[in-house]
Amino acid sequence: MRNWIYNFAGMLLVAGGLAAPVRGAEATLLNVSYDVTREFYQDFNQAFAAQWQAKTGDTLTINQSHGGSSKQAQSVVNGLAADVVTMNQPLDVELLFTSGKLIPQNWAERLPNHSVPYNSTIVFVVRKGNPKHIRTWEDLVQANVSVVIPNPKTSGNGRYSYLAAWGHALRKSAGDEQRPRELVGKLFANVPVLDTGGRGATITFAGRGIGDVLLTFENEAVQVRKNFPGDALEVVVPPDSVLAENPVAWVDRNVAKHHTGAVAQAYLKYLYSEAGQELAARYYFRPTNPAILAKYPGRFPALELFTVEAIAGGWKQAQQKHFSDGGVFDQLYTAK
Amino acid sequence: MKHQTTSQKNSRPASFGGAALLALSLAVATPATAQNEAPTNPPPASGQAISRVEAAQQAQAETLQKLLDRIGQLEKQGAEQKAAAQALQKAYDEQREAHAEREQKLQGKITELEGKAGSLAGSGTAQPAADAPTPQALQQQIRIIERKNELAAEAADAKAKTSPKLTVGAGGFAFSSADTNFVLKIKGLIQTDYRAFFDNNALLDGHNSFLLRRARPIIEGTVFKDFDFQFVPDFGGSSVSIYDAWLNYKYRPELQLKAGRFKGPVGLENLQADASSSFNERGFPSSLVASRNIGIQLWGDLADGVASYAAGVFNNAGDARNPNNNDFIDNKEVAGRLFFQPFKQTDISVLQGLGFGVGASFSQINGNALALPNTTGGTLSGYTTSGQQQFFAYNPAAGTVVGDGAHWRLAPQATYYYGPFGLLGEYTISEQGVKNGVRKADLHNTAWQVSAQWVLTGEAATFASLTPAHPFDLHNGQWGAWQLVARYGQLNLDGKAFPFFSDPTLSAHEAAGWAVGINWWLNKNIRILTSFAHTDFSGGGTFNPAVARTLTAPATVTHQNEDVVFTRIQLAF
Repeated sequence: MRNWIYNFAGMLLVAGGLAAPVRGAEATLLNVSYDVTREFYQDFNQAFAAQWQAKTGDTLTINQSHGGSSKQAQSVVNGLAADVVTMNQPLDVELLFTSGKLIPQNWAERLPNHSVPYNSTIVFVVRKGNPKHIRTWEDLVQANVSVVIPNPKTSGNGRYSYLAAWGHALRKSAGDEQRPRELVGKLFANVPVLDTGGRGATITFAGRGIGDVLLTFENEAVQVRKNFPGDALEVVVPPDSVLAENPVAWVDRNVAKHHTGAVAQAYLKYLYSEAGQELAARYYFRPTNPAILAKYPGRFPALELFTVEAIAGGWKQAQQKHFSDGGVFDQLYTAK
Repeated sequence: MKHQTTSQKNSRPASFGGAALLALSLAVATPATAQNEAPTNPPPASGQAISRVEAAQQAQAETLQKLLDRIGQLEKQGAEQKAAAQALQKAYDEQREAHAEREQKLQGKITELEGKAGSLAGSGTAQPAADAPTPQALQQQIRIIERKNELAAEAADAKAKTSPKLTVGAGGFAFSSADTNFVLKIKGLIQTDYRAFFDNNALLDGHNSFLLRRARPIIEGTVFKDFDFQFVPDFGGSSVSIYDAWLNYKYRPELQLKAGRFKGPVGLENLQADASSSFNERGFPSSLVASRNIGIQLWGDLADGVASYAAGVFNNAGDARNPNNNDFIDNKEVAGRLFFQPFKQTDISVLQGLGFGVGASFSQINGNALALPNTTGGTLSGYTTSGQQQFFAYNPAAGTVVGDGAHWRLAPQATYYYGPFGLLGEYTISEQGVKNGVRKADLHNTAWQVSAQWVLTGEAATFASLTPAHPFDLHNGQWGAWQLVARYGQLNLDGKAFPFFSDPTLSAHEAAGWAVGINWWLNKNIRILTSFAHTDFSGGGTFNPAVARTLTAPATVTHQNEDVVFTRIQLAF
């Protein structure tokens, strides 16, 4: 009889309820990033949102989340609804594929330069007048030098610092690992506090007055000087260091859920634009666009940069050998 | 060395004490008059001066030893604080305060040493222990310990943020994930009643009995943030049955989709929680709406509750019925409700608690007995009093009645709450198509009620449960909250029901009842209800010992007025 009316009404209700979540002219993005990109992305987000609104008319709100790079990546795997991730090493982005299948395996090939829009490196921040006369890696292992480095197990910053010291010694010993083992062992013996992220290490060194030298990314080193002008901290660029490649990716599964795929991709592509590269340079990230990098020779001192691949065979190998449980770092470091 | 000390004094005032202590070490290590010359021999001095110098050396050594001891203590305490911080942030804060005090004392000792250094500077020389740590080193150690504690606290805090939470309180037991996207709550409702019927004549009356009216564990929660669920079995009554089992998707408060078994949207008092109703049993209008329905409903609250709506499709359920979970009912019912509280978000306090609306349902029945009212209090479908006695039944002298044809309900309704005073009123029409053989009729049955409450102890009256301002506690002279309640209502059966669908000599065509009561809310969880209810009947009531049909309800019920005293002890959490 009339049952079809009720059945139809029931289906309409279900369909109505499910179809109701439609997109509006407002969008929100969540950028999950590592510890020391706060200031850069605050400006970058503002610039991109304005550009996006001018282009599409949509109002864009961009939220940021920061922490130790690896911890952040794990948070995304655990459910933190990032639309994009901007990490400081490929392994942390790779985790989103290997552990969560949140992104495809070929994520690195979706954007130019293996999805690395800007680079950085590890430099030293010392106290006023550089009283311990720290110039290069060997100076860090003197008995009277206290070094602040974040935990390589939880922080990309710490991992790069470790690999920079390792690579420096390995290159000098022509591949003999005894020398880097000694250097890294002594280096971490001089570390009184292991923070979980780069910004925490900055607070330990500059905010709490602990240690003689801070190892951190080049952009963070400048930020530290800026934020603690009274301390007259100085940046020391060692003669060689590691090239820190900072990859980015949109998180496919989350953007599909949030209907933010287009804006997320545009956001990351904007990092490669001239405006994006200029902004990166302004915050002391080394642009991957050679023309823009060349515009700032004073800002980015020349030093010999070696890649993780050159000194460890790649990030996967580095992770397995050095930072996995029971790896070289665990063997060399004894918590105080 | 001196230059370094000076620069640190300038750049970091906090290290002044430590720098001064170092200055002391230097000063006592070199003659005051020639600090750049190494002291190969002590200068000539009297025996008294030498004693003073030795005493000063001894004092300094002791002080340094105390500092070292203090550092040792701090390190030990730091480790303890770390463990404590992982357990409780509060404990950490207390430790931190204590630590700050100790540091202040330590700083005081350093300052004291500086003073001593000043007085000793010109009196002689002394050699610090070769392995004695410098004040700067001590300061560094203190800072490192503090930072480690800080990081431990941060780690504990971060861990707490990601750790599941257990909450126990008046609202029941709740487990939740750190982000509250997953929640499991365990609640319960136990109502132990006693009913005492006044025996007005020789006929059977209601059973004076204890009754486990409701015994319901309530399991509810949330999965993946937006999906709520509830499961409520009832172990009261004669058999275990499921009362509520539903899943709700909340896209926004304004747009929610609920599916499963739950209360239909039509009746006002029927929607009130069992733990919150003013009397042991609901009024007559609830007899004309389904107790529960199985189906799917779109619903939501608009403008923070200023308006709410519900619309759904359900299996048809007869009046007051709580359909079985596996009833195969081809007939569907569409039901909905609109309710407004236009002043809820205004500052007009006297009108904030005013709400009104209307519920309605419609279904088309194809000869189905389950479309008729439930059988509580009798053997056939019918309607009952507040004493749960059946005063009307579809009990014609010949034939069997089933629901057939259109069944619609309309239920205008209103509530008003102001301070300790509350009113609830509703009028419900249930027009029921029935069939007995070839005879058919559309019966226009109606019911209404007005109930009032006044909270003697001043707490705000609400549609939900009361929250006593002073929960029962004899030790502190607190007695909880007291609530007076009163109600009047009627249920009128359509005259067309008689005689082909109901026997007019046995069933009443009208029941009118009033009730008064007093409820004692010991606390939010425990309530004791006491009430008296009186019901008059029009029609029915014939008693003939020779006719078996007159020896059971509804004849035995309608033969006399119903007077019953209810009591209830209720635990709801």
